[in-house]
Amino acid sequence: MQEEIIAASSLCVRLNNQTILDNVNFNVAKGEIFALLGGNGAGKSTTLKTLLGIVPPSEGSAAVMNKSVKTDIDFIRSKVAYLPESVMLYGHLTGVENIEYFLSLADITCSESDIERALVRVALQEKAWRQPMSNYSKGMRQKAAIALALLRDAPILFLDEPTSGLDPNAIDEFNQLIATLAAEGTTVFMVTHDVYGACQIAHRIGLLDHGKVVGMFERGDQSHINTEEVHSAFSKRNKR
Amino acid sequence: MSLFSNLHRETKFLAKQRNLQLLFATIFVLSCFAVWSGISETTSQITTIERLIEKDTIDREGVLAKQSDYGSAAYYSFHLTYSSPSNMAFAAIGQRDIYPWKHRIRMLAIEGQIYETDADNPELSFLGRFDFAFLVSVLLPLFVILLLHDIRSVEREAGRYDLLVTTSKRQQRLWFSRAIVMCSALSIALILPFIAGALYTQASLATTGLMLLVVLGHITIWMTLTLTFTASKAAVKQSSAKIASMLLAVWLAVAVLVPVISNIAIEKMVTSPKGGDILLTQREAVNDAWDLPYSATWDEFLSTHPQWKNGIDMGPTFEWKWYYAFQQVGDQKASKLSNAYREATLKKDKLASHFAWLSPPMLTQRLMSSIAQTDTYAAMRYEQNIRNYHKELREFYYPLFFTENTFNLDKMSELPKFSDHKEKSKG
Repeated sequence: MQEEIIAASSLCVRLNNQTILDNVNFNVAKGEIFALLGGNGAGKSTTLKTLLGIVPPSEGSAAVMNKSVKTDIDFIRSKVAYLPESVMLYGHLTGVENIEYFLSLADITCSESDIERALVRVALQEKAWRQPMSNYSKGMRQKAAIALALLRDAPILFLDEPTSGLDPNAIDEFNQLIATLAAEGTTVFMVTHDVYGACQIAHRIGLLDHGKVVGMFERGDQSHINTEEVHSAFSKRNKR
Repeated sequence: MSLFSNLHRETKFLAKQRNLQLLFATIFVLSCFAVWSGISETTSQITTIERLIEKDTIDREGVLAKQSDYGSAAYYSFHLTYSSPSNMAFAAIGQRDIYPWKHRIRMLAIEGQIYETDADNPELSFLGRFDFAFLVSVLLPLFVILLLHDIRSVEREAGRYDLLVTTSKRQQRLWFSRAIVMCSALSIALILPFIAGALYTQASLATTGLMLLVVLGHITIWMTLTLTFTASKAAVKQSSAKIASMLLAVWLAVAVLVPVISNIAIEKMVTSPKGGDILLTQREAVNDAWDLPYSATWDEFLSTHPQWKNGIDMGPTFEWKWYYAFQQVGDQKASKLSNAYREATLKKDKLASHFAWLSPPMLTQRLMSSIAQTDTYAAMRYEQNIRNYHKELREFYYPLFFTENTFNLDKMSELPKFSDHKEKSKG
């Protein structure tokens, strides 16, 4: 049996008298790429924020590396690298300075050459490394944030709409990088509404609708999950 | 990660924010101006006092040389009294803006001379003088609010908050370190000109240290208040602008409303005679004496000065001893009002000290004035110094009026000299 890294059990989240997550159950194994797929307002980001300890669970439990998000959030955060949907680092700092700053927040010391190697790995143009981030495009900011996540050397990656706004080449590069990291043992939990992207990269997909997990798709022996099957289920749900 | 590493990181972060550097530079310039303004004012007061001391002696010697009797000598000669500013007064001009710090007095009734003008300065009643105490007590909270109101909300609005809190090993340390670094930079911008001013005026180490403690204490109060509010549930979903508005409302309440309301309340709670009433009572007593029989004056005078009962015989013409006796009686008649005025002033001050606990800016201003010896107590000490000196003058002249008949100019060299009893090294 594979080691369970992330688990949600009967997870409910209610905010302002509205049920956002309703009895959500899933688990993610070590080295797995798990995508939570859903339309706008399905509860994807809330699930991610609950796992990060930003939104507290109302009922049920959520755990990362067998530690509860309610009681051990500092431990969980030390094991997780988080890539937000819209990466907004500090505009007045350069890419390198931003990475240095955020690494020092996590109490991680990296040499400048380590940072440069990570920036090469995410294919951020060298001339941008020491430019203020206010000059960066969304894709460039995303790459800098991925470099930060790599440098944190965290065993778990949480990605919020990671390919949103990226051009097709950047998406391919990103997908390759995530696959490599997963092969090296990193567990990836991503939330997205990109059916095709999720099917290409994920080992398993959970379909979330109005706060409930309404379907689970697996890659099995195939190289990727059947896009038609997921798309059909996703469309039906979204048309309701 | 140690607090020191956090502070080091946030210092480097702050060093790259040009807008904040501009703000600190502006605060530094304001502090320089406040200190310069205070030093200019106290230097001007010291210069005025020195000039008056010199002129006072020359003027008195000239007047005395022309006199032929002690009564005229006492009547025509003026005596300078003054209250020199302490070496720390530049930082908090305080009540020196309201109460007089120099009086030229004569041997006439003293209460009327002290209360010739009521303690009032309408030009400065609302905003006050732009000295270091004003900068620290009134404007400093605004600087802290400006720096810290959006410490969290600006990160939320920029979409960085979640990344920051999930990356930071201890998120509370992040905000705390950031606030400490910004408030330290603010303190340096405020304090450096003050320290330069204290060195220039040779203020003592103790008073300088106390003043610094008050400044740092006030910064800490507002830093704690702002950080607590920005971390509260009430602020979580608010924009930076709304949080700033709410904190400004708090500032307005404690820096403006509490002092204004407490002033109104104190005026209602404490009944005080006006300076004009004291002056009028004393003058009426003096003027009435001209029309009353001599005995009316002598009875009142001898009730407090029985030692002169054998010297009250009067000739057919005007005699100075009777004139000065009814001046004394004028003071005696005004003394009840004068005491009530002083008691009311002290009571008002005590009540203000209680109300100040509701208003950190008011408390800060009071503490700074107290350290700089420019508070109400210092003003009242000066008033008392004037009375004491006037008493010495009376004790010098009365034996001459009642026992000596021949004027001797050399005797005038024994006239008591005024001293403001202030050890400058203390301030």
